[in-house]
Amino acid sequence: MNKKTGLIFFPAFDWAISPTHPEREERLLYTRDQIFEEGVMDLPQIHEYAPRLASLHDVSRTHFCVPRVQSQVTEAHLIAAGSTLQLGDSVVSGEIKNGFAMVRPPGHHAMRVVHGNRGFCSINNEAILVEYLRRRHGIRKIAIVDSDAHHGDGTQDLFYHDPDVLFISFHQDGRTIFPGTGFTNELGGPGAYARTLNVPLPPGTADETFMYVVDNLVLPVVKDFQPEIIINSAGQDNHYTDPLGSMRFTARAYADFTKKLKPHLAVLEGGYAIETALPYINLAIILALADVDYSYVMEPDYWPGRFKESPEKTAQVHRMVEQLLESWANRDKVDIPKIFGVGKYYQRKKFIYYDTDYIEEEQIEKVRMCADCPGYIIIESRAERGYRAPVRIYAVSIPFQACHSCQSEAYDVYEQAKKQGECDYIYMQDKSTDTCITYEKDKGQEWVSEG
Amino acid sequence: MYIGIDVGGTSTNAVLLDDGLVKASATVPSRDDIITSLMEALDRIMKGVPAELIERVVFSTTLITNLIAEKKYDPVGIILIPGPGLSHVHYQYNTDTLFISGAMDYRGREIMPLRDQEIANAISCLSTKGYKKVAVVGKFSSRNNKHEKEVASRIKSLHPDWHVEMGHQVAGQLNFPRRVVSTMLACATRDKYSFFVESVQAALNRRGVEGLVYILKADGGTMPLSKVTGVPIETIFSGPAASTLGVQALIPPGETAVVVDIGGTTTDLALILSGQPLLSSRGAPVYDQLTQVRALAVKSVAVGGDSIVERVGKEILVYSERLGAPFCLGGPMPTPTDALRVLGLTRLGNAKKALEAMDMLGQPLGMSHSEVAQRIINMVIDLVVQEIEAIFKQWEQEPAYRVWEVLQKRKERPNMVVGVGGAASGFITQIAAKIGANPVIPPYAQVANAIGAAVAVPTLQVNLRADTEQGYYTIEQEGYQGKIEKDPFTEEDALLLAGEWLKKRAEKYGLNQAVEKKEFTRRDVFTMVRNWITTGRIYDISVQTPRGIIGHIGARGGFSD
Repeated sequence: MNKKTGLIFFPAFDWAISPTHPEREERLLYTRDQIFEEGVMDLPQIHEYAPRLASLHDVSRTHFCVPRVQSQVTEAHLIAAGSTLQLGDSVVSGEIKNGFAMVRPPGHHAMRVVHGNRGFCSINNEAILVEYLRRRHGIRKIAIVDSDAHHGDGTQDLFYHDPDVLFISFHQDGRTIFPGTGFTNELGGPGAYARTLNVPLPPGTADETFMYVVDNLVLPVVKDFQPEIIINSAGQDNHYTDPLGSMRFTARAYADFTKKLKPHLAVLEGGYAIETALPYINLAIILALADVDYSYVMEPDYWPGRFKESPEKTAQVHRMVEQLLESWANRDKVDIPKIFGVGKYYQRKKFIYYDTDYIEEEQIEKVRMCADCPGYIIIESRAERGYRAPVRIYAVSIPFQACHSCQSEAYDVYEQAKKQGECDYIYMQDKSTDTCITYEKDKGQEWVSEG
Repeated sequence: MYIGIDVGGTSTNAVLLDDGLVKASATVPSRDDIITSLMEALDRIMKGVPAELIERVVFSTTLITNLIAEKKYDPVGIILIPGPGLSHVHYQYNTDTLFISGAMDYRGREIMPLRDQEIANAISCLSTKGYKKVAVVGKFSSRNNKHEKEVASRIKSLHPDWHVEMGHQVAGQLNFPRRVVSTMLACATRDKYSFFVESVQAALNRRGVEGLVYILKADGGTMPLSKVTGVPIETIFSGPAASTLGVQALIPPGETAVVVDIGGTTTDLALILSGQPLLSSRGAPVYDQLTQVRALAVKSVAVGGDSIVERVGKEILVYSERLGAPFCLGGPMPTPTDALRVLGLTRLGNAKKALEAMDMLGQPLGMSHSEVAQRIINMVIDLVVQEIEAIFKQWEQEPAYRVWEVLQKRKERPNMVVGVGGAASGFITQIAAKIGANPVIPPYAQVANAIGAAVAVPTLQVNLRADTEQGYYTIEQEGYQGKIEKDPFTEEDALLLAGEWLKKRAEKYGLNQAVEKKEFTRRDVFTMVRNWITTGRIYDISVQTPRGIIGHIGARGGFSD
């Protein structure tokens, strides 16, 4: 196959959360220098695309932005998401074999409901891509592998009840790093059991264990799942120089992983060692995607064998992989009612903290237990933001695979919530017809957007 | 009065402009001896005009391009300091290329030292093979030129007679492989270029012309002839730039147009967007290799009036080769020019011969000569139209690295298709019809390139990159590295410093007037935070003189803006 690797490089040199925030203008500066100086964009294997904007509707199809999309995103966010969609289109059309969206700002901590910015993320680039691929291109089964040092909690949240999305995240143990989640017991909701797999790795984990997880868990499970598209949330803060993470992966290992996973799309997530890691990892990933020799890419301060891992930690990871493999193997045999209970709805309570914007959100998430489809989702959410009056919202999401009765029931639920008038905003997100509705109580008005 | 001269491979065009009017124009064949053809052209346009009245002469030449194309230059050996990154198998330049250790990183910090023995070995290897010209290029040398300078001085100390060219002096923009090609070509063409400059000076002296003499660069800007020896490769591809500027001067300001220059074997396409010629986002390509030379975006389509046409089975094919003149002009094979003749779209050559050419192709297929001719013309037109669509698409697909750049992206389509060059008249109407634009063949289309040269104005840019944490700045165009004296060094200071360097460059080239107006085309500020503390700033500043032309050629005299 001689097809090219698509690249969109959108460093957003004129956008930052604040001038000194880790997510600032400088973040991809050295990556630019490295890939430009290497002449990577001139390689015949590479095709560089122009970024484009995602539409507000593309965002509404995925998120409930409070009160509306425009209040949660900047143009930079729409360009980061839109660039991801551009590469998605190019992969599906067969123009390129794979692609890398090296974009800012990142997105994998953005959950279904967006009251503000969490973990430097406002909207979830990969999730917007997934919903877009389904709507626009009819793709159903998608695997997302998250290689960021932080648990991809936003992506997990968005697909927790979706049996057609396999989400695997390996990351630094949540007890030692933001966002504090991503443990092995988080396996997905009743309708999507074991379609979420988390591999919390002990701080200090190095390449060898990383590759063990990839070879023994990630690759076999992805293969077994048979996705139509594989997406890599390519966070790069597992690198041994990252100031936020405590892991010890190298650029070479990231490239090896890319070469093995063969993602259709890699989307840049975190990574804040902007000088010592990003230029090298990004270059290595590009070369790996394009099937170009990356053995000359090396961090200036690395020498082979620099990092040794303790046998105890390694053994612990091996046991965890065993256990997860078992969960995966038994995913269709487990006693769902025993784990999740019986009733019309499966319900869970969530507390979500927005570290960037200091928002505290309490959420009740209900999933309609349905034998014919994954069931619609209801979310009641209340967000407190310091001195301001709390915002309450009520949101209904109908999955794209919904059965007729779930769909019509969900509309009843939405109408009822409007009548009750307890929440400030009421949302309906119908992925089966690609219709998004927002009702604002104070104005008694409803807005509809359609794809 | 202004003179513009385009020294092409086959013919030399010249024009004399007097206050926006074309006073005289001439086309003479180009000879091996440049002086002879120059004198001939000058004499024809200067008939009765006193030499003192000539304020300015601008040359455009494909001389350097042709030298490179025909590989008529001394062999150049290459010493590379690539360090880690891309595998070295990517660095293949059809000449002896030696790799030595040593590396700088993106901020110009040395991450791997040079090794004396390796340098010595590389030099002796080139010496054994008889090289006397060497290009030395290191990765990130535009951020720190120390390694290149060390290697160059070692070569000079061992072989004072060798000509050494260093990467940081030729091109400063990041892109190592392109800088290698640029440096090699600069090294290869310097002598020949000096010879050209001397010839031109001699020709002008003999005719007593004492006005300023400039040469056109690939980006459509000019430079004083005598000062360009530093960057001869910037004159490659100034031919297409000349035609494009000529068209810019011949059409109303602010138009969006496609320039179609149909020659014998190739058709060059260029874009004028809202009155401004489009610059290529990539450096000018030489064969398959890109250089770091700023150039107008020109697309060459391998088809022209003299392309040979053949029947293969039931198909008629237009090839990209030329086998001499068209059939109607005594050539061996039918060509699109013959087709034009048959359709009455040109009066070139012998009509009977043209008919004969069409019959050769059409008779076995039972097609009439006009059917065959129309088919050939359609094929050429389709090819050109496809390429026009492609360049607009490509332009829309240009990458953007800033939010505002993405937001201001335009979608534009041409209002007019402007034809220049010999075979233009026969094709332009139909090309324009196909893309829904107006066909235009401006007056003086035959000498548009000479007009373009005559109206071109100097362009000067300075890219400044200052790294306050490390305390130094670089000027890409000069290969200069200097200390930042001020502390704190603010964005305002960076802008000032860039402005000063623009002035300095202008003085160096005797272009003081050019910098009266200047525009900042980039001003990025990057705050550097290390260990949660702001440790410095990086400023990326680009400042340039406005691009443009002296004025538009007016119908009633006088330049109009």
